[in-house]
Amino acid sequence: MSVDFLHPGEGAAIDTNVPALEMRGIGKRFPGVVALDNVDFTLEPGKIHALMGENGAGKSTLIKIMAGVYGKDAGTIRMRGREVDIKSPRDSLKEGIKVVFQEIALISEFTVAENIFLEGYPTGRTGSIDWKKIRADSAALFNRIGFNVDPAARTGSLPVSQQQMVEIARALAHEARVVVMDEPTSSLTPNEVSLLFTVIRRLAALGIAVVYVSHKLDEVFEIADTVTVLRDGRHISTRPIGEHTNDTLIQDMIGRRIDNLFPRQRGAAGSKVALSVEKLSTAKKLIDVSFEARAGEVLGFFGLMGAGRTELAKAIVGYDPIISGTIAVDGQRLAPHDTRTGVRLGIGLLTEDRKSEGLMGELPVYQNASLASLGAFARLGFVDKAKEHQAVQDYVDRFRIKTPSLFQQIKNLSGGNQQKVLISRWLMRGLKVIVVDEPTRGIDVGAKSEIFALIDRLAGEGLAVVMMTSEMPELLGLADRIAVMCEGRLTAIMSREDATQEKILNAAIG
Amino acid sequence: MSLASTASAKDQPSMLARLFARQELALLVCLILVLAFFSITVENFFSVRNMTNVLGQASLALTAGIGCAIVFISGEVDISIGSLLATIALPLIIIMNDTNSLLLGVGGALLFGLIIGVVNGYLVAYAGINSLIVTLGTMFIMRGGVYLYTGQRAIPDDASLDSFIALSDGRLFNIVPYSAVIAIALLVAFGYMMQHRPFGRQIYAVGGNQEVARLAGYDVRRVKFICFIISALLATVAGIILAARVGSAQHTAGLNFEFQVVAATVLGGVSLAGGIGSLTGMALGVLILQFLSNGLRGLGLPTEWQLVITGMIIIAAVAFDEAKRRRANGG
Repeated sequence: MSVDFLHPGEGAAIDTNVPALEMRGIGKRFPGVVALDNVDFTLEPGKIHALMGENGAGKSTLIKIMAGVYGKDAGTIRMRGREVDIKSPRDSLKEGIKVVFQEIALISEFTVAENIFLEGYPTGRTGSIDWKKIRADSAALFNRIGFNVDPAARTGSLPVSQQQMVEIARALAHEARVVVMDEPTSSLTPNEVSLLFTVIRRLAALGIAVVYVSHKLDEVFEIADTVTVLRDGRHISTRPIGEHTNDTLIQDMIGRRIDNLFPRQRGAAGSKVALSVEKLSTAKKLIDVSFEARAGEVLGFFGLMGAGRTELAKAIVGYDPIISGTIAVDGQRLAPHDTRTGVRLGIGLLTEDRKSEGLMGELPVYQNASLASLGAFARLGFVDKAKEHQAVQDYVDRFRIKTPSLFQQIKNLSGGNQQKVLISRWLMRGLKVIVVDEPTRGIDVGAKSEIFALIDRLAGEGLAVVMMTSEMPELLGLADRIAVMCEGRLTAIMSREDATQEKILNAAIG
Repeated sequence: MSLASTASAKDQPSMLARLFARQELALLVCLILVLAFFSITVENFFSVRNMTNVLGQASLALTAGIGCAIVFISGEVDISIGSLLATIALPLIIIMNDTNSLLLGVGGALLFGLIIGVVNGYLVAYAGINSLIVTLGTMFIMRGGVYLYTGQRAIPDDASLDSFIALSDGRLFNIVPYSAVIAIALLVAFGYMMQHRPFGRQIYAVGGNQEVARLAGYDVRRVKFICFIISALLATVAGIILAARVGSAQHTAGLNFEFQVVAATVLGGVSLAGGIGSLTGMALGVLILQFLSNGLRGLGLPTEWQLVITGMIIIAAVAFDEAKRRRANGG
């Protein structure tokens, strides 16, 4: 009990016999979907509790009910034995429930320090904000956690990984009884992940109940004491981690066994060059990058954070400007360098940032899918709706996209299904090269293998797939050839047969 | 970790760029340039008399601009303020004529302003109607109401209370017009609120990202509701000063005033998208436009040209701002 983050002693009187949080019989429905059905979830103080489940299993709904983002339709919530009524995020925060959402929830115009104290500014006697204390306390907080973030920086100017650290730090700035982390490691480096784990263990040692939501099995085995699995909105199991193996956990999550996460159906790649990039440089990052991608192959790009994968992806589809070099799709040069030309030549990007660069969240599924190919459905300048809907329906069937209807707003779909709609958008347009950037970010195991199968199929249909990834298994499981980047340069290209983890990492370090 | 820290060190902009990154400083330089230009070209421009006169003229826009900027920062707009200026003059003048009391008149005007603020705020924050539409609607309704009530004739201030007239031509220490003193005091108070009171920061947070603000436990609707009330009350104060200046309640009072204020606010770097800008910036925007207009008149340029030039300046300023932001984001 000697270490605390900012409020030593406040967590001291925690009775370990009474659950920190007890949710009983929680039910929640959305139009057309039962999101949660009679779910029980109990958190012991001082324990790290992993919450797992596939896409649409109900994890985020459960967390959002805890956070007061959604109201529940049925069930009770008790905090330390006392029934509470959580109707808004404010109620939840007051109970000491701190949720670190996967989507960055910070005000980008504010400084890091101000964001840390967003939910309650320390004030002086007159009720004015004590900025000195905010600066000092946030610096002290980062110091104690061991995160290297400048409290005076404008939050929006920081890379995503640092913003994520700010979010985590923020959860600890006020008294907390329950800390929920939703996929906290999705953009952290291995170093940062181990720091985060140290922090989480310290939180638990202070008697705080920690909920850890993740798709990464190895992380869960490393950090969790207990695992609860949800499937299709129902509670499947709650067991100590010691009783689980990789297989039993996956089985609980998907209700069947996945024998092969990377089912390869496609044949060998052809020899026809679909994309050739020569001496490409950008103002921001890339230096002299040259490579070719062939029709029917998956070319995987690996690199550590900041290596320039996303920059490369955006440059070769014409989205970001370049300062020198050439890009050619099927021998035709990408000039002028813009996405309009890119799409015309047949190269498209499946972005890593679905929410802000891929989806039009408020619009229905069918409009999201048909966006790039409206011309094909047009007659005399008007879109033929019947034709458009039919085409989208074909893809929904083909890719087994789970949606109540074509008219559902796409923001209501799960990550995996959103990704499938975005892939449909490009396939409908008839692409020759598809660039996929972190295709499985924020997508869970079962749906991951579907996305892998989809990528396999794209290559099988003769597309050149350029895949940017930071996940080694994904890279080794899917790619025909592997390219490695380091600080804006291409440091190695090797065939899958020649590649080892060691070789790849060496090239990534430079 | 090391990657991240080198990146942030590399992104440090140059001294000059950082100086100009402070919106207010760039605006201050513009204001000084405007003052310098007209001091050279226009006789008596740079005199205490002219300076304080312009300040007095600017006080209306400064006062109402505080509310306009606050509503902008919360992510909404309020264009009903011009009509409000004319509307609140009715209770003000009528009550003063009846009771010979400035206090009751001002109280009546403020109450009226409060009601308009509550209506605007309720419709935007709680009924969820777009603020441009709501305030466009109340703008028309109020203007129409004033036309109907007055029969398009001015209602003169028969009470002619000394204290009321002092609002128009009284000067503190015989130098600074009282209207400017009021505007500056309000600016300081609300400027302090926006930067140093939790509520002010909540307004920035709500305008910066509504969803994030909600997750941080803020009552987003309440914040917006209060912003509209603040805006209406400040426009009421401006309306009282205007009524004192013209000595009557007039149906045309404050016509197009909202657009002058919006123009100055935008010039001052307050973003229509919310979450960005400061009252200092707004005030500098008002002063630049006011001195420009005064100076151009001194040069003998007709009002029509002032409009054209003002329009060009606003677009140029926002374009400059946009270019700067794009460079800052590295795109």
